[in-house]
Amino acid sequence: MASILEIRHVSKSFPGVKALDDVSISLAAGSVHALLGENGAGKSTLIKIITGVQAPDAGEVLFDGASMRFSKPREAGACGIGVVHQERNLVMRFSVAENIMLDRLGAHSLSRVDHTAIADEAVRWLKMLDLDIDPGTPVSRLSVAQMQLVEIGKALSLRSRVLLLDEPTASLTPNESAALFAIIRKLKADGVAILFVSHKLEEVFGICDTVTVLRDGRNVCDSVPLAGLNRQDVVKMMIGRAEQLARRAPRSKPAASPLLELRGYSSDAGHRDVNLTVRPGEIVGLYGLVGAGRSELAKSVLGLSRQTGGEVLLNGQAVHITSVASALHHHGIGYVSEDRKGEGLILLHSVLDNAGITIWQRLASRFGLLHDATVAREVGPVIAKLEVKTPSLQQTIGNLSGGNQQKVSVAKWIAAGVKLLIIDEPSVGIDIKTKAYLHDLIHELAGRGTAILLITSDMPEMVDVADRILVMDRFRIKGEVENDRVYERVSQAIMTFIHDRKAA
Amino acid sequence: MRQSLAIRLLDNDWAGPGLISLMAIAVISILQPAFLSPFNILVLLSAIAVNMVVALGQLVIIGVGQMNLALGALGGLVAICFVGAIEVLGVPAPLAIVLGLLIGIVAGMANGVIIARTGISAFIITLASLQIFKGINLGITKAQPFYGVPDSVKQFGNTAVFGSIPWLILPAVLGAFCLWYLFRHLRIGRYILALGGNRQAAELSGIDTTGTVIWAHALSGLFAAAAGMMLVARLQIGQPTIGDDWLISSFAAPVIGGASLSGGHVSVAGTFFGVVIIAIITQALVLFSIDPFVVQIVLGGLILWAVGINRFREWRLSKLAIQGA
Repeated sequence: MASILEIRHVSKSFPGVKALDDVSISLAAGSVHALLGENGAGKSTLIKIITGVQAPDAGEVLFDGASMRFSKPREAGACGIGVVHQERNLVMRFSVAENIMLDRLGAHSLSRVDHTAIADEAVRWLKMLDLDIDPGTPVSRLSVAQMQLVEIGKALSLRSRVLLLDEPTASLTPNESAALFAIIRKLKADGVAILFVSHKLEEVFGICDTVTVLRDGRNVCDSVPLAGLNRQDVVKMMIGRAEQLARRAPRSKPAASPLLELRGYSSDAGHRDVNLTVRPGEIVGLYGLVGAGRSELAKSVLGLSRQTGGEVLLNGQAVHITSVASALHHHGIGYVSEDRKGEGLILLHSVLDNAGITIWQRLASRFGLLHDATVAREVGPVIAKLEVKTPSLQQTIGNLSGGNQQKVSVAKWIAAGVKLLIIDEPSVGIDIKTKAYLHDLIHELAGRGTAILLITSDMPEMVDVADRILVMDRFRIKGEVENDRVYERVSQAIMTFIHDRKAA
Repeated sequence: MRQSLAIRLLDNDWAGPGLISLMAIAVISILQPAFLSPFNILVLLSAIAVNMVVALGQLVIIGVGQMNLALGALGGLVAICFVGAIEVLGVPAPLAIVLGLLIGIVAGMANGVIIARTGISAFIITLASLQIFKGINLGITKAQPFYGVPDSVKQFGNTAVFGSIPWLILPAVLGAFCLWYLFRHLRIGRYILALGGNRQAAELSGIDTTGTVIWAHALSGLFAAAAGMMLVARLQIGQPTIGDDWLISSFAAPVIGGASLSGGHVSVAGTFFGVVIIAIITQALVLFSIDPFVVQIVLGGLILWAVGINRFREWRLSKLAIQGA
């Protein structure tokens, strides 16, 4: 089969991390191609290169055999490459029709928008997707699944010959997913080349013909038929054995009474009936797919969304935490965000300010005076101990590598002396050496009695670090797995809980 | 889904401010019948006309999700250029009007180009250009007014076209209609709102974001210029201080009218009632000889109230989105 879109030996680096290293993939007309890999494997970067959001450092993009260099999303769209991004990209107050036709509202700036013609055109694509909604409806009135379909309609309306779907089922129910697959099969029959990105392997085996797996920015396989493979093969390719981390012996079980306990907890964010305990010195893993509600649970416990039911107990006392400030200063809870650059650090500020921010309140004198020297006395040793590679404490943190930034994100909570540390995706975008260091650090902290709640989608990391693993799916805890560090058994047990949707 | 009448009214941008306007008019005219005298209505409508054009200049920028702090400084600069061209250079008035509008468009475009190309926030860029425009203004005038306003212009600013309807209403109505039409029916208007509503979506859909931002600022400059010259006609003098006091009301009227300061949602009709409310409050000051500070407090309270209502509606919108109603 002729390939429409071919990516050849593409590389892309960002400061401190090589996101793609000599990656190739080729998409054929009338076939569904799975792109698999764990978080941070390079899938999103590859999609950004295909759609022209980012330019590759090396390698080439061939469309219909001709070399292309897209510098704007518009150019890829004009070529017939449609994409449905993981996050919703709709203008909420606009109608369905306007959203579908957004880039074709008129020939020039002062053209009158022909609402009737646009609605007619939109209806064509809505019909194709079996979506029975009035094209005049504002998008804000639609369900998430309908919004998803509107975005697919938008991509199709560009007469796309290549359609990229990035985790299209992440927010869909099984029924909605099934409807989407029917549509994908129809498009495939019409000769569209589809790239399907998903974490859900049963879906991949259900509709895909070929597969490309990425790991650490490299091809594990490049466009091979899925027919000859089974689940185990694919999982093995995704997870790999190459950078096997030192296997730790299971730690002795801490006997202390729980530091944090959630009983039948529910929240405004959507959590229902969550039960969870973390003891001092214990590392509890919280595993789940993207969107399962793990980070939301962490933020909810910190007081960022309202508790609507159940109990939160700290050291056996019922508490009601309503702000992050009180979570830190009264209850000793720290949170290392998964979004280091957006939520964890103030990139324009110095290492000192970033690491010291948690203790400013404690160190400030009665009149609110605060001296750098006072902060440095507390923060300096922690920074030194964590081997943060920085020329000085005054260095702007944005100039450090991802790994060193992450060390500072953890350092600030160590400096604050928290009793419970929630660590969300500790190793996103950092090198393997720092990753191993952070794992050691987490163990050391736990060894000194800190309670750790570890959130990660990185299965080897989870198996390496956690004592026991809670599996979360759709804002509920689905089950618990005792971690004996036998990778196959533990990962299998976790997956069983996640795939057990129908039974639940 | 069934909704209570109150909620449905709240969903309408202009209903709330419209109701308040009517109530205020009713109350004040009962307490002070002079409020509805033909002369007072003429004065009130003249003020509303100018303030409406000022508010429209800010409304465009609010729509695209930015702020224009230089609106008043640009209006003032155009005002003195307009009279200066007539008095010093002997340019005929119609030509001077065209010249004034051009200055507004070009200066606005300059703002837009710098903002769109550098990606620096509009707040900072327009703060800087405010200073520049004001500086040029004072350099030209040496802080002295131009007095050479032609009689035709003076008449336009101070006579009625019919009954108590001043001529000044004409450009205001025309501007309001054009902007309403633009936001509703023209590609550029939809792009401005799309960009303000969801920048990333607009960008990924292939909308020319740079061009759209430049367009918005050019339009804003056009309205600033028109308002500056309307004020010259009304004051009958080319005051260098024209535009100095536009900032607060240029934001207050659109916000009272339901505009979302984060962009993507504006209402021309709502803005009109916002302007009316502000004009009535200011007039009440004169009619009842109230201390000016009360007016400021009431206006501040009104803005808070309006922002609260807008916030409530956005919150409701997001709830609806989650439920997928």
